Amino acid sequence: MSVAGFVVVAFMLTMYVMLDGYDLGVGAIVPLIARSDRERAAAMAAIGPFWNGNEVWLIAAGAALFALFPFAYAASFSGFYLPFVVILWLLMFRGIAMELREHFASELWHQFWDAAFCASSALLAFIFGIALGNLLRGLPLDRAGYFQGTFAFLLNPYALAVGFFAVATLALHGATFAAMRIEGAPGQRALRVVRSGWWLVLVLYAGVTALTLAMHAPQRAWLPLLPALSLIALAALAWKARRGEAAAAFAASLSFIATLLAAAAATIFPYLLPAFPASRGGISIFDAAPPASALTCALIVNAGGIALVGIYGSIVWRQMAGKVRVE
Amino acid sequence: MDPVLADRLQFAFTVMFHYLFPIGTMGLAPFVAAYTWKAAYGGDAEATRIARFLTGLFAINFAAGVVTGIPMEFQFGTNWASFARRSGAVVGQPLAMESMFAFFLESIFLGVLLYRRREAPAPFAAWSAVLVGAGSWLSGYFVIATEAWMQHPVGYSIAAGGTIVLADVWAVLTSSFLGWQFVHVLTGALVAGSFLVGGIGAYYVLARRDEVVGRRLVRAGAIAALAFSALAVFPTGDANGRNVTAVQPIKLAAMEGLFASRRGAPLAIIGMPDVAGGRLIDPIYVPRLLSFLAYGNFEADVKGLDAYERDLWPPVEVTYYSYRLMVGLGTIFVGVAAIAVALLALGRLWRARWALWLLMMSMPFPYVANEAGWVVTEVGRQPWIIYGLMRTGVANSPTVGSGETIFTLMGFLGMYCILGMLVVYLVLRAIATGPQEDAT
Repeated sequence: MSVAGFVVVAFMLTMYVMLDGYDLGVGAIVPLIARSDRERAAAMAAIGPFWNGNEVWLIAAGAALFALFPFAYAASFSGFYLPFVVILWLLMFRGIAMELREHFASELWHQFWDAAFCASSALLAFIFGIALGNLLRGLPLDRAGYFQGTFAFLLNPYALAVGFFAVATLALHGATFAAMRIEGAPGQRALRVVRSGWWLVLVLYAGVTALTLAMHAPQRAWLPLLPALSLIALAALAWKARRGEAAAAFAASLSFIATLLAAAAATIFPYLLPAFPASRGGISIFDAAPPASALTCALIVNAGGIALVGIYGSIVWRQMAGKVRVE
Repeated sequence: MDPVLADRLQFAFTVMFHYLFPIGTMGLAPFVAAYTWKAAYGGDAEATRIARFLTGLFAINFAAGVVTGIPMEFQFGTNWASFARRSGAVVGQPLAMESMFAFFLESIFLGVLLYRRREAPAPFAAWSAVLVGAGSWLSGYFVIATEAWMQHPVGYSIAAGGTIVLADVWAVLTSSFLGWQFVHVLTGALVAGSFLVGGIGAYYVLARRDEVVGRRLVRAGAIAALAFSALAVFPTGDANGRNVTAVQPIKLAAMEGLFASRRGAPLAIIGMPDVAGGRLIDPIYVPRLLSFLAYGNFEADVKGLDAYERDLWPPVEVTYYSYRLMVGLGTIFVGVAAIAVALLALGRLWRARWALWLLMMSMPFPYVANEAGWVVTEVGRQPWIIYGLMRTGVANSPTVGSGETIFTLMGFLGMYCILGMLVVYLVLRAIATGPQEDAT
């Protein structure tokens, strides 16, 4: 049961990264693909109908963690109080930027919000990467499971490397989405970004994977399979991008992210908040889990909800199909 | 500063600011759905214009509601970790249901509605509008399910170590306390939405522009305002009051400023509570009415604040004044809406400029009444965070100090100040632009 809970939370976070990841990525690469005011407007319109629904995955993942593993939810959210509030502010600022851009026909107004949108998107990707890096590395926890470290501890070289890897990966992801969704010059520039950018992702991938393997000798024999699958996905991405098949490249990018996060989840399992150094354990799904009644209820709610969202998503996707034009 | 006080100030500020927007979405939802439906299936030109215009207003409220809503869910973990640890297995359930069953629905289909706004509403848009409305009401239901459980915990058991465990999720989702509180909150939001629609219409008629649309908005808004403000008083307000009397009698005593228990208790229409002196200053009483309203019997025994230990008293003044504000405004809304509907029925409303002015100037007050109602509910249940089970004073995060909370509170103040000005500006501009033929 607790294992199912872990899978649900990991699944929701993966969905969040796969989906909100592309709109964060489009934000991060806007300066590279859009040169004029109208092109930047098209880039925002490309994600306009989707980003709000994508962000709900973060809220849903938070709620699932709250309902399934209240101890881990309480310890992590209060332990990282300031970083969490900074994430909130950035998410709000980014939302405001997207909502407000089109409300004045002034070029300066647009430029300000475009810059705000780009900076907050890239910074969010960076902070999420740092958070993931620290989760993989382990955290100093006290007996009650609360974080006892400092900012200096969180900004270690490994976590920073994962942060840069996250920015590069999501930027690539956003570029494949933009290539698929936007017509004309911005879409073609996005395709070029994919073709030249995947090398950088490959290098960072190799570095981060090597560091992670050095830190955690794989506990399970099949674990190295997942990063191998990511490598195949990345190769497929590059190949499809070279042939100009943007939709296929986007699908490959989705699998790249999914396998990477599955590898990360399998690495920390069964811990939700692994301790640093690893020998000290941490908060695992067995000591953070609520009793069976609550687990059953939350699992049914989340499974049903995920099915519903799949139905809505397929209806809406069919209605909203087609490319965004630069006007 | 006491860390718990800092956490309470932050939660109070962020939740009161956030709630302004759900009032708008829950209150406007039926109007958006009705006009989009009419435009798609009935096909008259004005309905299309009104549908687009109201969808635009709804969207502004929705966006601001999402942006300010994310911090609410996070705060349970960041600022109230001890509460989250102890009760997350129960409190987290309706919140998870909210995001899975309501929030996705609302946000995904609003995306459809907004990005197809340039085309004439088709059946797909009509259904989307209905789903968006259903999503916003369901969202309210699940959030209030969480809140009502904290007011009146049911369907739980307590495990070793004090953790609160979910025993019966249906009991949590179907308690009668929750039911009446939800319909009361919903009618409160609908009163605000109706006055918004009627008030904007009154502005167009008074300004002698878009008069055809203006008159339709006034008619719809005024009739809805009368219906919903009557429902807010009876039966929803009345039943909610009876539930409070039954499960939180001390809150009733604070709401009514009743310091001494007595049989045949009078209702104070006016008066100022003097907590140190344990009396109301300068009151005007209606004899025995409080006993009747609370228990349906003029001779019933009503417990006053003196029946309880001093450390169980909620902040009396805030509870008392907020309650009077809500009830007083609620009564005025019934009067204003009744005047408008009566003139409408007599066919004299369009010449009675004073009545249109009255309708227009009423717009902000349902917001005040809604917020005041929440202050009564939440301040009046102190010192408990979970009524009778957990005190607010021990619910905060042990690792977060008041300095951090004050810093982030200042950040929220600054951010929300700018956001608030922008929302007001956007709403006023949408109203000034009006229901256009090809609104974008």
